[in-house]
Amino acid sequence: MSTEILTLLFFGSLLLFVFLGLPLAFVLGGVSVVFLYFTWGFDSFYMVASQIWSTMGSFTLVAIPLFVYMAMILERTGVAKDLYRAMHLWFGGLRGGLAIGTLAICAIFAAMVGISGAAVVAMGTIALPAMLARGYDRSMCLGVINTGGGWGILIPPSIMMILYALISGVSVGKMFAAGILPGILLMVLTAAYILIRSNLQPHLAPALPPEERGTLREKLISLRSVALPILIVVMVLGSIMGGITTPTEAAAMGVLGSLIAAAVYRKLDYALLKEASIRTFKLSGMIMWILFAAHAFSAAYQSMGAQSMIEGFITQIPGGPWGIIIAMMLITFILGMVLDPVGIMLITLPVFLPIVESLGFDPIWFGILFVINMEIGYMTPPFGFNLFYLKGIVPPEITMKDIYKSVIPFVIVEIIGLVLLMIFPEIVTYLPELLF
Amino acid sequence: MRAISAFMKGVTRMNKAIGVAVSFLVFAMFLFILLEVFLRYAFNAPTVWTNELTQLLFGAYAVLSGGYLLAHRGHVNVDLIYSLFGPRMQAAIDVFTSILFFIFTLALLYFGVDMAQESISNWETSYSAWNPPIWPVKACIPIGTALLVLQGIVKLLEDIAIACNLSYYRPEDHPEHDPKGEQL
Amino acid sequence: PAAAQETFTWKVQSHWPGASSSYKDSLGRLKEQLEERSDGRLKLQLFEAGSLFKAQETFNAVSRGILEMGTISPSYASDKMTLAGIASGLPFAFRNVWEAAYFHQALGFEEMLREEAAQHGVYWATDKVYPTEMVVKEPIESLEDFKSLKIRSSGALQKFLTEAGAAASYIPGGELYTALDSGIVDGAHWGAAQGAYSMALYEIAKYHVQPALNIAGTDVIIVSQKAMDKLPADLQQLVKDVLQEQFWYRTNEYLYKERITLAKAIAEEGVEVNTLPQDVQDHLVQVGQAMWDEEGKRSDKAAEALSMLKSFLSDLGYL
Ligand code: NA
Ligand code: NA
Repeated sequence: MSTEILTLLFFGSLLLFVFLGLPLAFVLGGVSVVFLYFTWGFDSFYMVASQIWSTMGSFTLVAIPLFVYMAMILERTGVAKDLYRAMHLWFGGLRGGLAIGTLAICAIFAAMVGISGAAVVAMGTIALPAMLARGYDRSMCLGVINTGGGWGILIPPSIMMILYALISGVSVGKMFAAGILPGILLMVLTAAYILIRSNLQPHLAPALPPEERGTLREKLISLRSVALPILIVVMVLGSIMGGITTPTEAAAMGVLGSLIAAAVYRKLDYALLKEASIRTFKLSGMIMWILFAAHAFSAAYQSMGAQSMIEGFITQIPGGPWGIIIAMMLITFILGMVLDPVGIMLITLPVFLPIVESLGFDPIWFGILFVINMEIGYMTPPFGFNLFYLKGIVPPEITMKDIYKSVIPFVIVEIIGLVLLMIFPEIVTYLPELLF
Repeated sequence: MRAISAFMKGVTRMNKAIGVAVSFLVFAMFLFILLEVFLRYAFNAPTVWTNELTQLLFGAYAVLSGGYLLAHRGHVNVDLIYSLFGPRMQAAIDVFTSILFFIFTLALLYFGVDMAQESISNWETSYSAWNPPIWPVKACIPIGTALLVLQGIVKLLEDIAIACNLSYYRPEDHPEHDPKGEQL
Repeated sequence: PAAAQETFTWKVQSHWPGASSSYKDSLGRLKEQLEERSDGRLKLQLFEAGSLFKAQETFNAVSRGILEMGTISPSYASDKMTLAGIASGLPFAFRNVWEAAYFHQALGFEEMLREEAAQHGVYWATDKVYPTEMVVKEPIESLEDFKSLKIRSSGALQKFLTEAGAAASYIPGGELYTALDSGIVDGAHWGAAQGAYSMALYEIAKYHVQPALNIAGTDVIIVSQKAMDKLPADLQQLVKDVLQEQFWYRTNEYLYKERITLAKAIAEEGVEVNTLPQDVQDHLVQVGQAMWDEEGKRSDKAAEALSMLKSFLSDLGYL
């Protein structure tokens, strides 16, 4: 059977079972096993067990339970609630103010973590109820968290950028520097979208009525609740930048900060730790089983000859150099709907990179486009992991359909950003050229 | 019928108990990383064991979560089309899709046992600077998968009961198993 | 004859990422040689690091015959190979690369490795022997300087550096650059000059430390015996011949590339070679030798290899 037909069957059965409601982890794992059997025989199932063992041994993933733990503690102590109260008092007069505030917190979170997932779960826990309680539209809230939660790989430090640097041979430092302005651009674009949308349709992100905006005194008092979150950010970011911890280890500083916050709020007791531990276990376990299966799935797809198929595609693209770059973006985008980002990188980059370089494009610029595309992949239906992580924490009345619908405008905004970076590559190349 | 109910209750209770116990490992991971940072930064004396121990605990923590999550309906799915059907039809669909669940988990169980046996047969260690035994964590793969398979059997029995209106399982006794998922 | 016309495609899992020079120079060369000299009857399908199996799992996959071929470091097979510790390098044993090559090929260490791997259904062929060298942010000018260092390390060298008094900690490759940059560690070893260059470590660590921490057969090509047995006799011989040539070709070429990479780093990045002061070297040799005996205890074969190594080194006048 040719790889093209296998690909269709592979993704077709994936779609069928996902829409029949089988949990994503089991669909990915089961489909991998079935296809490995037909392409490679019974013994190849060893690969599935082996991929799980390897995933268990990935140190950077330890940050997931730790950051989730931090969020669960913060949420239960009431720090998060007070933070949103303060944000509402200060920016409540602005339509969409809370959503933009959430984006800002997402960006700070993204600077603290190198992976996605933890941020989506954490922000979903902290920000979603706070925004819904203040009359924000469900789609608006879900979209903001989905988009902002994915910035973890876009704003340095970023595991995706490091992986790209390893595969492509460009400098990690230059990749990090190159990611800063595009990250800011996407933030500005997303914030602009929220502002425009909430001024056109005020019911989506209502302003706080003037009589509830509080006196200056109330506003100043509310600032006390910001001190603890800032302490945590300083502890995490400070320990990364100050050379005290690696980004993964910094997650433990986040937990320490949240425990201090709990102590200040006089909530630090066994019941809190137990409840936070159990909720963390559920969410981290959900993320990890998806990752287990996703890694097995990409290995299975690789073994079917995915790489040579993509190689074949690319050589047939008309339209000169830009045609090829756009085709690469499209392939990545489509793979991003169904595959995990690490898998996409391993499959496509060995094919793409030599072509990109031979066409005279800057591999760092291409890398940033690629990482943004990965970030979009995290939030595109049907398999964007962020969508599933979000589904894991939302109240039962929010369905997957709500989540799927909510991302559409935000995906469009990110694509606009991507196009801008293609037209103005200086946004990417300016900082690395300045700093190195 | 009573035996089936007892089996189902027993497995679910076991998975829930194991999950609660394992969930505390997150606190241990936090402490060990903090200790490493402290020793390295304050005393310039990093250890060879903290990060590796954290890694091993994390592996066990992650792989042992499968059964607990299934008992709590914590593995996320897409309810887009699924939610259009009534409970009996949903149960029937679940019976059908469980084929893929069992293909995955049984393949994993088979090779997980294989892998663990090999590891236990030579009391495998990591051969790092610290060189701890790693066979206990490898053994967690078949154990975690077995817990998941057992809970999967319970889920299948529930679905058969709902789909065929059998008496050994009544969903109204288990409000936490609302198919829409449980709020965490 | 019809059998001779049959073609074979081998899946090859690399432990090198695609951008690594060894991926192209070692695996690329091997693929080209085998395909050309077999007239296309034996083809290699290469997979970058981590695609099908992670590095630590590749030996098992080849041993089970799931993969036909792979590349590893000996340390990834430590649980199966009692000689792995000696193969991946005893600290401060050899002083020149040719000595390690002679030990492998003329004195028969390669043959010993091959025998032990054969018990697991694996044909072992060292890709090359080469040095592992450190880069540091501040030069080491005294034993005190050395003992105050925080070094990113892994495996046996982590233990060695710790016992020698430095603070060695393991940091995953992906976080190495940032860790070195922000000062979590002051130095690291990632191969030697080419490795440091590929990870851009010279951007932030300007001192290249010599002599080498070890010189060893740190890259290995492994072939599944099952896959080998399926080949006709002439192709089996071809694989063995090409792998044998590979060792000499790559060892030499790698040394050349080390030198030009270091020269480039010196010219373009302002890197300086930091030769360890004699008292530091003496200290490291002393600590290293104490560790060798540990490796000899793993099996009779390991003891034999170690005594062979010791007598070789005393012939050379080093012991
Ligand atoms: Na980040
Ligand atoms: Na996606």
